[in-house]
Amino acid sequence: MGSPTKERIFFVALGVPVIISLLAFFWIAATLLTGVGSLNLDMLTTSALKGGAFEMIVGTVYLFAGAAAIAGPIGIFAAIYLVEYAPSGKITRIIDQAINNLAGVPSIIIGLFGYTFFSRQLGFGISLLSGWLTLSLMILPIVIRGSEEAIRIVPTSFKQAALALGATKWKSISLTTLVAAAPGVVTSLILGIARVAGETAAILFTSSVLITRGLPSSPFQPVMTLSFNMYVKIVARGESPENVFGIALILFFIVLSFSLVAIILRVYYRRKQPWLD
Amino acid sequence: MSYKDKIDIKQLNVWFGEKHVIRGVDLKIKSNSVTAIMGPSGCGKSTLLRSINRMNDVIKVCKVTGDVFINGKNAYEDNTNVYDLRRQIGMVFQRPNPLPKSIYENVAFGPKIHKMASGKALDKIVEKSLRAAAIWDEVHDRLNDSAFDLSGGQQQRLCIARALAVDPEIILMDEPCSALDPAATAKIEQLIRVLSNDYTVIIVTHNMQQASRVSDYTVFLYLGKIIEEGATKGIFENPQHELTEQYITGEFG
Repeated sequence: MGSPTKERIFFVALGVPVIISLLAFFWIAATLLTGVGSLNLDMLTTSALKGGAFEMIVGTVYLFAGAAAIAGPIGIFAAIYLVEYAPSGKITRIIDQAINNLAGVPSIIIGLFGYTFFSRQLGFGISLLSGWLTLSLMILPIVIRGSEEAIRIVPTSFKQAALALGATKWKSISLTTLVAAAPGVVTSLILGIARVAGETAAILFTSSVLITRGLPSSPFQPVMTLSFNMYVKIVARGESPENVFGIALILFFIVLSFSLVAIILRVYYRRKQPWLD
Repeated sequence: MSYKDKIDIKQLNVWFGEKHVIRGVDLKIKSNSVTAIMGPSGCGKSTLLRSINRMNDVIKVCKVTGDVFINGKNAYEDNTNVYDLRRQIGMVFQRPNPLPKSIYENVAFGPKIHKMASGKALDKIVEKSLRAAAIWDEVHDRLNDSAFDLSGGQQQRLCIARALAVDPEIILMDEPCSALDPAATAKIEQLIRVLSNDYTVIIVTHNMQQASRVSDYTVFLYLGKIIEEGATKGIFENPQHELTEQYITGEFG
């Protein structure tokens, strides 16, 4: 069997999973689009009490925005510490492993932890705050690992140049390495948001309820969310899936647009990082 | 203590872990001179250079004993402000390492972090440094372009301008031309001669012809020890030590 034939086989074989993924994506989109009938622009601004989805959309946004605001800074600083300051040794390796483990914890268990610790132990109840804290645990490993990688691929020559000019270690990192790593860091945060925007299990008993009167006026109140709404309608109320396709479509677009933004940012900033070539 | 010697290195020893890289080096560097440090690969040239501005401090396994007096003050004293030390000593690296910023911001970086100037005064410093590095004419109309748009030789001159912007007294150059083509190399060698009027320059080089073209004094380093040092002409025309002669005639790299 000659080489060109082998190459062709590999090309096709490796292309098949790509085709399957694309087909799956479009099938989901197409299915949901059948629900576009039950969706109209009014839904986006009408209250749920009148059949709209306004509070659910805002609730979802409140949740992931708050979780990102918590996990973002913590994750970035953790990544900086792990790459630039942590002494290499047993403790650092244990921390690394712990972060990987956190990423692998099933979301229902994170939700259970959130309920037990934030909602009950700390007394935050079913609230935005509990949701923020719980979801941030899911965003955190994504931000840490993505930021770590973004920081690691920045050439150390930038830092060296800054140090040789008399910069302190922190300045050499913050003014050169972090600036260069910023696109990758931001992308990892966006991907973290995409991960939790549609999260159901983690907010099941920590923050979301079926109906609220208006928007929450404080972080100690619960929220309505798109994912929870779908869950309850199908599981608890036994409604048929088609009824929630409209809601599903909204959520789908929210998550999709975050992923697209992440991709676009990555492509845009890649041109501005010539040292990666 | 007289300090007409800009730099006075006394009994410098450097270890990387178990490896004894610099062995009991004594060396005096005169003001406003160009001193070339040459020797075969791995003999400690870069380490010696980096010991002067304490860039070896950032390497965890590095241990240093001995003294490096700069203008009569010991750089390795406990109360030395290492950040100010490094401001006084500019460094140019083997491969050009512009910061991921514009040409202007590269040169302005040093003065900014040391709060030396801002606004128009900063603009003046940037122009002065770019002129001193013989690159102003090529970049004055595109200061906001990315430094990475420049060619290798231009980037290296930018790095020199960046080092000059913080008003150092000493400039350390670690094989600054090794990544450049002959034309760019020639420009930089010319620049080095001019710079020695205002600065004390120490250049590590692999290239013996370069050392003889560019330097007033030459130090031959072998396996971490100074074998011979003195006026460049003398070293090349009349080496005293056998090893020096062997190196010069190319018997070992």
